[in-house]
Amino acid sequence: MNDLVEVRAGVYRDSVSLMRVSRALTARPWVSVALVAMATALNVEMARDLGFAVPGTATPGDLLVAIRAGSADELADAAADLERHLAERGSAAGSGGARTEGARPGGTLPRTVRSAARTAQASAAPATPATLALVSVPGEHAFAEAMDAVAAGLSVMIFSDNMPIEQEILLKDRARERGVLVMGPDCGTAVIGGAGLGFANVLRPGPVGVVAASGTGAQQVTSLLDLAGVGVGHVLGVGGRDLSAEVGGRSTIQALRALDADPATELIVLISKPPAPEVARAVRDLSLTKPIVAALLGPGQDDLTAAAAKVLSTLGVPVPGWPHWPAPRPLSGGGPLRGLYCGGTLCTEAELITRAMPARETAEFTDFGADEYTRGRAHPMIDPALRLEALAAVDRGVVLLDVVLGHGADPDPAASLAPGLARAAARGVAAVVALVGTDGDPQGLRAQAARLNEAGAAVFTSNAAAARHAARLAVPLTGGAV
Amino acid sequence: MTLSMLNGEPHVITVGAEILGEALDRQAVPRTGVDWRPPMAGVAADVLAGVLADPRRERANETAVGRLVSARPRLVGVRPAREVLGLEPGTFFHAGPPITWDRASGPMRGALIGAMLFEGLARTPEEAEAALAAATGPDGGAGSGRGVTLDSCHHHRTVGPMAGVVSPSMWMLEVADDEHGGTAYCSLNEGLGKVLRYGAYGPEVIDRLRWMGEVLGPVLRAALERCGPIDLRSLTAQALQMGDELHNRNRAATSLLVREIAPAVVEAAPDRAAEVLRFINGNDHFFLNAGMAAAKVSADAARNVPGSSLVVAMARNGTDFGIQISGLGDRWFTGPAGVPDGLYLGAYGPADANPDIGDSTITETTGLGGFAMAAAPAIVRFVGGDVADAVTATTSMYEITLAEHPAYQIPGLGFRGTPVGIDVTLVARTGLLPVVNTGIAGRVAGTGQVGAGLVSPPAEAFTTALEALAGALNSP
Amino acid sequence: MTVGTRPRRVTRVTGAASAALRSTLESPRRPARVLAAFPLAVYLEVRSETEPHVIAVVTGEASRLPNAVVLTEPLDGLSSGDEGWAGDGTVGIGGLEVGVRRWWDPAPPLGAADPVRLPAALAVLDAIGARSPRRPGLDPAGAPALLARGCLSGSLVDGVTAAEGLIGLGPGLTPSGDDMLSGLLVTLRHLGRAADAPGAVRLADWLAAAVTYDARTRTTPISATLLHCAAHGQAGPEVLGVLRGVAGLQALEPAVHRLLRLGHTSGADMLLGIRIGLSAVIAEAAPSEAAPSEAVMSGKERS
Repeated sequence: MNDLVEVRAGVYRDSVSLMRVSRALTARPWVSVALVAMATALNVEMARDLGFAVPGTATPGDLLVAIRAGSADELADAAADLERHLAERGSAAGSGGARTEGARPGGTLPRTVRSAARTAQASAAPATPATLALVSVPGEHAFAEAMDAVAAGLSVMIFSDNMPIEQEILLKDRARERGVLVMGPDCGTAVIGGAGLGFANVLRPGPVGVVAASGTGAQQVTSLLDLAGVGVGHVLGVGGRDLSAEVGGRSTIQALRALDADPATELIVLISKPPAPEVARAVRDLSLTKPIVAALLGPGQDDLTAAAAKVLSTLGVPVPGWPHWPAPRPLSGGGPLRGLYCGGTLCTEAELITRAMPARETAEFTDFGADEYTRGRAHPMIDPALRLEALAAVDRGVVLLDVVLGHGADPDPAASLAPGLARAAARGVAAVVALVGTDGDPQGLRAQAARLNEAGAAVFTSNAAAARHAARLAVPLTGGAV
Repeated sequence: MTLSMLNGEPHVITVGAEILGEALDRQAVPRTGVDWRPPMAGVAADVLAGVLADPRRERANETAVGRLVSARPRLVGVRPAREVLGLEPGTFFHAGPPITWDRASGPMRGALIGAMLFEGLARTPEEAEAALAAATGPDGGAGSGRGVTLDSCHHHRTVGPMAGVVSPSMWMLEVADDEHGGTAYCSLNEGLGKVLRYGAYGPEVIDRLRWMGEVLGPVLRAALERCGPIDLRSLTAQALQMGDELHNRNRAATSLLVREIAPAVVEAAPDRAAEVLRFINGNDHFFLNAGMAAAKVSADAARNVPGSSLVVAMARNGTDFGIQISGLGDRWFTGPAGVPDGLYLGAYGPADANPDIGDSTITETTGLGGFAMAAAPAIVRFVGGDVADAVTATTSMYEITLAEHPAYQIPGLGFRGTPVGIDVTLVARTGLLPVVNTGIAGRVAGTGQVGAGLVSPPAEAFTTALEALAGALNSP
Repeated sequence: MTVGTRPRRVTRVTGAASAALRSTLESPRRPARVLAAFPLAVYLEVRSETEPHVIAVVTGEASRLPNAVVLTEPLDGLSSGDEGWAGDGTVGIGGLEVGVRRWWDPAPPLGAADPVRLPAALAVLDAIGARSPRRPGLDPAGAPALLARGCLSGSLVDGVTAAEGLIGLGPGLTPSGDDMLSGLLVTLRHLGRAADAPGAVRLADWLAAAVTYDARTRTTPISATLLHCAAHGQAGPEVLGVLRGVAGLQALEPAVHRLLRLGHTSGADMLLGIRIGLSAVIAEAAPSEAAPSEAVMSGKERS
């Protein structure tokens, strides 16, 4: 057995980057284990369980490297590969091309948002001063960085989750005093002036402004609008808790007012789970000057596709037939319905729709983006492994999946999903895919659709349509026509 | 309301997962990346968040650092310590946080012995040692007559280099802050070689101190009365542009000071002028003590702002490294003083070095010394490297400071102001400890200076200060 | 110059494109050629009847023209005459293949602007224009004054005649006359709409039609494309910044100075156009209290 164990003091990389490195090394033949992670108690224990002799000096501020390979040569190659990956990642920290303005004399990068804001503010024209901050450090550390942004008069998107609610409330109150917006915590999607932050689609600019407590919900609505030729100016995320009674819609109210005052916005869409009643009242009492279309996902409410259609008709734009690609071979009906989702809101929407449909055998939904599946691993929109395992376990009936395209998502989700779908089809499982994306997305909506479709799946750009189709398929043949 | 980010081209500051920043690069969105690391070991996330959430903090820090950088220190007088500090016989001030004899290091003990001899309180070193071993702190021995009392200089608007021992007969530089009205003191610099501040107490040391009290002090006092107060803020600003960082290099500042004061020295004491000026000229660090008093009076102006996490003192007694925080009054937060890493004189090596000692870190506290390394390429080898290292040292200090000094500028950085005003929360977040330039004292009393170099303060001084700030929130 | 084919590796990069380019880029791929290459910008002419037919591929440091694709990477090794293409979602030049990952709006609406504040803003523009050492490339007393009078009197014939005379007038990649007309067209369209002056918008329509009708034969290809963009209210951030300042959405004076720094005379030429346009909008928005810019009307300024 050839083991490499190293603890590199004071070397830090974020967990997503390290997962990518670990994955790349594990993919080498003859490398049986590659763990490259910060030396937290959990990771050290994991390495020891795997039989690595980790020195006792390791602290969570150090980088832990544990690689096992079939031969000494292979181990040396893997180690060289590791250096390459780490060097790549290291240089990418804010040096992504000529436009990154963090670097300063002495070669040091800013270490806090406070310092970065000072640097960016000082940098000369034609570079614009910083307009917002995107925070994705581990949740317990996010408050400091977000606070820096607010104090510097910058709006902030907090991608991190697990921020205590009292910190969220405090930040949002400070932000209101400073006339800036806090998007998040746990805000996965925003689009500011066409720039997609986190998980977002490539949208054409236009008259629609979105305020969203749900990231994938916003992606569904904006993607459909884009497919209908209607552009979106801004998508302001507010975080999943914002419309709860505790947070009281602090950011939602700010965001609605801001879009109401934004000259480029003609219509506002509000996307959320049903808000707490007092929050709903506060939002209603805002007396905005622009029309609002609300997509509040709950029983008896419009689904996201219906909300998109309502936006189009309010703007006087005809509602198109949403692109879809029927299964190449007719899907056999009947059996249980299994929903395997990445997007929490899309999952909820599909569940609401299928529950409201006629009886079927069983329907079971899993949201792989939920906390219990993302602890210690990347979001399923980046790392498909868990969902692929679940797909492989479906042996009959109907399987319903979402595939979300855009910035931040898997660069080629069909590549990993299509083989699994084809095998499912071979087992007699009927597959339906809700494909959320636009023609401008880097993955290419139509190319992805074609490959999923070739693998045997029926593909819909509307999740609601996909859910209805799947539910109809799942109804036993004796129960009615498909 | 209007949100400014909705207009025009976005420019995003990214901190955290790199893939999110890379996605922005692919969209040609201008961005500034943050090289984030987890907070310093020993910093609990909730403690840090609690301090950052203090609604007073931002304003308090602005006020405190505003006072620090707006201070206008002027050298107004030179007077005996017993006169200006009310120092009683048998009472000695020393550098750093309070310390007792039994914990004192070699140079500290040597300096105290020397001061006893100088004051005539002991005839032999052994006698002095015996009296010092029975010494008490300022509270215990008050008014006890013959007992010896030790106290920290910082408790008395005073700073002292290295051992920093001040006794009643020593003459002090008196620096007044024209902006905020404070006053601070520092002893006269003895020069290099065998000197009290490095713990030497031989006859030549005591003789020199006598001469300083009988000649140097009175002549400087008379000269200052003639030429009037000397603007130390402007002198410091000029010296920075002439290659001093004002802790380990004071050559330019000393020259400037001599230029200011020499005619008045000649006029005030024509008989003594030559020996006085020769003494000052023979010591490139003569200005250091005036600079330290100037730094002390500036830092004191920033004290006692409720809610402020600004560091207003960093000081070492040869055993402990201590800091004080604006919002936490006179409390000290300490950790073990480290051994500096640097260049050694002659045959000396690290084994001869005493742990870090002296109040001269008041220069770093006010944005000079290690913080201004980029201004002093001539001494970069002290800090183990080349000019780029000096620039990096200064640049990294902007990460833990609240302001850039409006008057103290660094030509090599495009006349950017020096990084000034250490914020405990920023130290805790970045794990970057203040860069301190320092002289290295010999471990054995009486050895004198063995080298100069860089030293890192102990992290726990900052983590315990942070915890105290959090604690103060819960018990107002 | 090297003869023969240079084997070239294709470098795939991505960037942000003006929404004005959407149809050009979504069309089937068409051949193109580099008209001019500078360190920060490369101009690519696409063989196409539709506008914009010139695409500016620029780095982040360059001025962001309304027909621009902005890249993160530096532009190296390109020279005029290089072959390229545009369409099927990408732009190719030399060994570069540019994909679009973001679309930005080159004509963001201003919202409503209070007509009452416009005369004061015009006074600021006039004052800065008069003081600035950056002079327009044309004598304001000549064709520009004629155009100003035509716009103010609401005489379409005078306005159109003067505008036609200005197309392609002056030296450079973007002749002074064209820059002035661009400033004018964008101002009439945006501020006319913002200040509720339909007459100004109508004037913009007429002038736009006249200017774009044969622009390709009258001026440089780059300038012709920029005139087409201006006809639709599309402009660079420097011009839009001044209009936002006039509407009270941002500080006006710094925006004017930023505009004036463009090119040799481009910024000053565009400012002159903006001033003529603003005078016309003021006259149309409140005909009874029209306070036309004396300076622009008489062409009193030195050139």
